[in-house]
Formats: sequence, structure tokens, C-alpha cells
Amino acid sequence: MTQVSLHDLRKSFGAHEVIKGVDLDIADGEFCVFVGPSGCGKSTLLRMIAGLEGVTSGTVDIGGQDVTHAEPSKRGIAMVFQSYALYPHLTVRENIGFGLSLARKPKAEIAQEVEKVADILQLGPLLDRKPKALSGGQRQRVAIGRAIVRNPGVFLFDEPLSNLDASLRGQMRIELTDLHARLGATMIYVTHDQVEAMTMADKIVVLNAGRIEQVGTPMDLYEKPATPFVAGFIGSPKMNLFEGRVAEQQGCDVYGIRPEHLTVSDDEGRWKGTVRHVERLGADTILHVEAEDIGTFLARIEGHRSYRPGAVVYATPDPAREFRYTSR
Amino acid sequence: MTQKSPYPYWFFLPAAVIFLGLFIVPTVASFYFSLTYWDPFEARFAGWDNYVQFFSEPFLIRGTLNTLFFAFVTSVLKTILGLLLAVLLTSGIFGQSFLRSVVFFPVLVSTIGVGILFQELMHPTEGAINVALAAIGIDGPGWLTNPSLALFSVALVDVWRGVGLATLIYIAGLSTIPNDYYEAARIDGATRWQLFWRVTVPLVWPATTTVIILSLIGGLRLFDLVWAMTRGGPGFSSDVLASVIYKQYQAGFWGLSTAGNVILFLLIALIVAPLAWWLNSKELDA
Repeated sequence: MTQVSLHDLRKSFGAHEVIKGVDLDIADGEFCVFVGPSGCGKSTLLRMIAGLEGVTSGTVDIGGQDVTHAEPSKRGIAMVFQSYALYPHLTVRENIGFGLSLARKPKAEIAQEVEKVADILQLGPLLDRKPKALSGGQRQRVAIGRAIVRNPGVFLFDEPLSNLDASLRGQMRIELTDLHARLGATMIYVTHDQVEAMTMADKIVVLNAGRIEQVGTPMDLYEKPATPFVAGFIGSPKMNLFEGRVAEQQGCDVYGIRPEHLTVSDDEGRWKGTVRHVERLGADTILHVEAEDIGTFLARIEGHRSYRPGAVVYATPDPAREFRYTSR
Repeated sequence: MTQKSPYPYWFFLPAAVIFLGLFIVPTVASFYFSLTYWDPFEARFAGWDNYVQFFSEPFLIRGTLNTLFFAFVTSVLKTILGLLLAVLLTSGIFGQSFLRSVVFFPVLVSTIGVGILFQELMHPTEGAINVALAAIGIDGPGWLTNPSLALFSVALVDVWRGVGLATLIYIAGLSTIPNDYYEAARIDGATRWQLFWRVTVPLVWPATTTVIILSLIGGLRLFDLVWAMTRGGPGFSSDVLASVIYKQYQAGFWGLSTAGNVILFLLIALIVAPLAWWLNSKELDA
């Protein structure tokens, strides 16, 4: 059983507190994604779990053991870095077996373990290549192989796909999800990309300024965002959020409606506006609309519609999908 | 076909003129004068006589072996000490910037000044080193007067003087190694020794190549420090090729000493070129 528990975890750099008391339980075998904007503390939190960053206060438990002050190698974890951290002077085989050779395992055992991992990740033909002779996706797989070979209870991923192009990212998302299903290990994954979070996670932890904003399943966060920050962060395109007069009219401080929950009509609706920009995505069309009384908002409509900038449209929110936030 | 404009070549011209005047012409002239008996007024063609005479010099073998020994010892020590000092001076120790300046300072001092200073420090009876050793009951050796120790003493001084540059090159090399490599190895359970041996040493290899090549070339052509400290003595015990050549020049055998310089140039090229190729072939591919 390799559940991970964080209790009132804090981290300060001098007088600046970057992790402000995080409590979190990650179940055995769960795929948990830390998501948030740059500087929210998600990578620092992951590094604290890994033991690469000291803890100012609070505790880290892995597999029921308090590992707050344990060395990284004693925590039963493996980590995949954003840069992959593959040693350029070693072959793929040597990179994957690096940790085992540090532990002075017999050569035959290392070779056997490396072959096993290479089979899982289809790296067999690449074993004798150096990292420079690999594509980005292949390097990523080697980095994952180096983690798997340690047979850890918890895998830590620090923005592992951010150096890949969009199509490869999509493919690697699927491969990682498959790998999680196959290994059944606990995985903690850091990303700033909410699409990665939504598509891969069993549980998403949204972080903002060193605090947890909300924890839940992807659909929980999409359907019941607890704060305007989560509402604005989860979902693509972003939720329309209105403050001031529009929110006051709705009896709240912040009023939110997702672009896909607006019905657009040429004839009538609650908000009248002028189309300023049209994004045609094929399956959907996203309209950037400017309305006199509420300002600019986005509307998503299915399929291709021949709106042009300057067209007048009407938008009506789905009453069942409106969000109202009050700070009281 | 469009003809290439000559315009860019005008920018190349100043460097070409300097290179031609200060390197190519003297090199070719050296080859020519090495085949002559020459003085400031005339040059008589001598064929290979100077080379034949140079190779029959009684102290040539000793001078060559001394040169190779000196270059080897100073290169090895500068490489090892430079790396260790660089690791220490990038580890965040107290007073790191000050200590870096201290280590680099000898590089800035004139070689002749260093030679004269250490000649005094290494004096067998009045030198500060032996006086300090005597204070703790050790009878210090004749650093520069003992024929079997003199060259090694000069080598130690050369290492003291040159290790700052090696350290500087290594500090630059270490600063290019991403921290992720160390963190990944720590997660894999690497000890401090394994981090150094399995991560630092291979990844800092380009700096090692530079340090070895620079130290070796400097060691093979060393003259000023030997001349300032021992003048090749006692006897001929610390003579290196450059000091042998200089003595021939002093004695008025200009053609002979020019031939010696050509041989020294070829010796350096024969040792350094294949070594540089081999070291570069071992360089990691990032």
C-alpha cells in the first residue's frame, strides 16, 4: 500500500512562504495531478514529497511511514524530470540501469531488469543508443523507464510533457495513462496544463499561491468548481467570469458561465453583442463577443457556423449551469 | 552563378595580416634558419647539420625526459587539483568568492616574480619553507639544490601558479551541468562519491580536455620558471628542452637553437594533436 499523506506542509524561502499549509491524502494506486499557474508552488510541493526540497514544517507520509526527513532514495519513489535528466555519456541501457548499478546490483540482474522495462516501453531497439540519437518522445520513455526499473511505490512526474510538441503530448498522455493502468502504482503528476490534468487524473489538486484551492475528480472540478479561481482555471476555453454590476444583478460577487453553456441565436437572447473574433476549430466554433452591458465574453457553438466579425448575436446562459460566488 | 562579393573578405584581412606576420612568417623563417648557420649579419646554408648536431647533444635525452616528466606531472596535478578545488569552490562554502580570488591570484603574478620568490622560499637553510619545517623538527631537503628534487620542486611551483586557471575552467564547466542530473542520481541513491565519480567527472569532461591540453602545451614549452629558479641546474638536472635551446642560443649557436625550437614545435604537435583528438572523441554528446 503506497498512499501519500501530507499534513500541514509548509515551505518558506527566507521570509517568503511558498507552501502555506497543505493537507492532502492520495490513495494507493491513484493518479493525482497537481495543477496551477506558474509560481503556485506545485513543483515545490512535488520536490518536497521527493525529498529534494526540505520541509519548513508539517509531515510527509509515504506508505504509512513518516519520511519527512528521509533521504530521497529512502522514500520508495522515482521521479521523471521535465528535462528528462538522461546522462548524455551513457546509452539508453546504461541510463535505465543507472540506479541499479549505483546500488551495485549484479550485472546479470541489471541486464534482466533493463530488458523487462525496455519490453514494457518498447525501447528494445534503442537500448544501445545515446540520448542525443533519440527523439523527444523516446527520451521521455527512457526517463520513464529509469523510474520504472526502481520498482517504486510512488511515481513523481514534474511537467514531463512540456518539452514535447502538441501531437506527441497527446500520444504520451495516452501512454502514461495506459502505463498507470498496467502498473497500478501511485502517481503524482505536476502540470500547468489543465487539459493534461483533466484527461489523465483520477484526482486533481488545484493549487494557487501555495494553497490548495480544490481537490476532486476532473468532472467534480468542471461541474462544481468551488472558487472563481478553479472555475477560471479548469475548462477550455475558460469560463466567462463577471464581477461588478453584472455579478450584482445576479446577487453575487462573481458570476460565471462556461462558453459551452451559452445558447447563441441571431434573433433573441438575454445578452446582445457584436462578434469581434471567430475561432473555427472544426468541431466547434468559438465566438469572442462584445456586449454593451456586460463586456467581452466567449461563446462556444457546435460545428461550423458562418459568423463573421461585426455580426450581431444574442447569447442566453443555461440557468442550470450558472455559477454564483460570494466572498462572504 | 552569382559571383560572391569580395566585401566580407575585407573584414578578414586585418586578422589575416596579423596572423601571417606574427605566426606564418616566423614559423616558415624558423624552418629556413634551422637549416643555416646564422647570425644578425649572414646566413650560410648548413643542410641538416644543425639537426644532426642537436640530436648528438649529450644533454638532449636528459632535457627531453625532463620536459616530458615536467609536462606530465604538472598536467596531472593541475587537472586533479583544479577539479577538486572547483568542486569545493562551487559547493557554497563560506567565503566562496574570496577563496576563488585567492586561488586565481597566482595566475596574475609574473612568472619570473614567482620564480624569484620561490627561489628564496626554497633556500636550503634560510628559506621560509625549511625554516618552518625545522620549527616542527623536520630537516627540510634542498628543494632546488638536490639534483633529484630540483625539477620536481619547479613543477610544484608551476602547479601552484597554474592551478588557478585550471580551477577557473572547471568552475565554468561545473556551472553548465544541470542540477537535474544530481537530483536524479540522489533519488537513485547515489552517495557523494558516486555523484562525483559517476556524474560530475563525465559531465565536466569538456573542461578536463581543455585543462589537460593547455597544461600539457604549457608544460612542454616551459622555460621562464625553470630559468628563474634553477637555470637548468644543479648541473643539468632540471634542464628542459627550452632551457637547453636557450643555452645554445647564449653560446652563439643560433642555427642550432633554431633547429631545437623546430624540434620542440614538432614534439608538441606530435604529442598534443593525437591526444586532443582522442580526448575530444571521448567528449560526451549532449
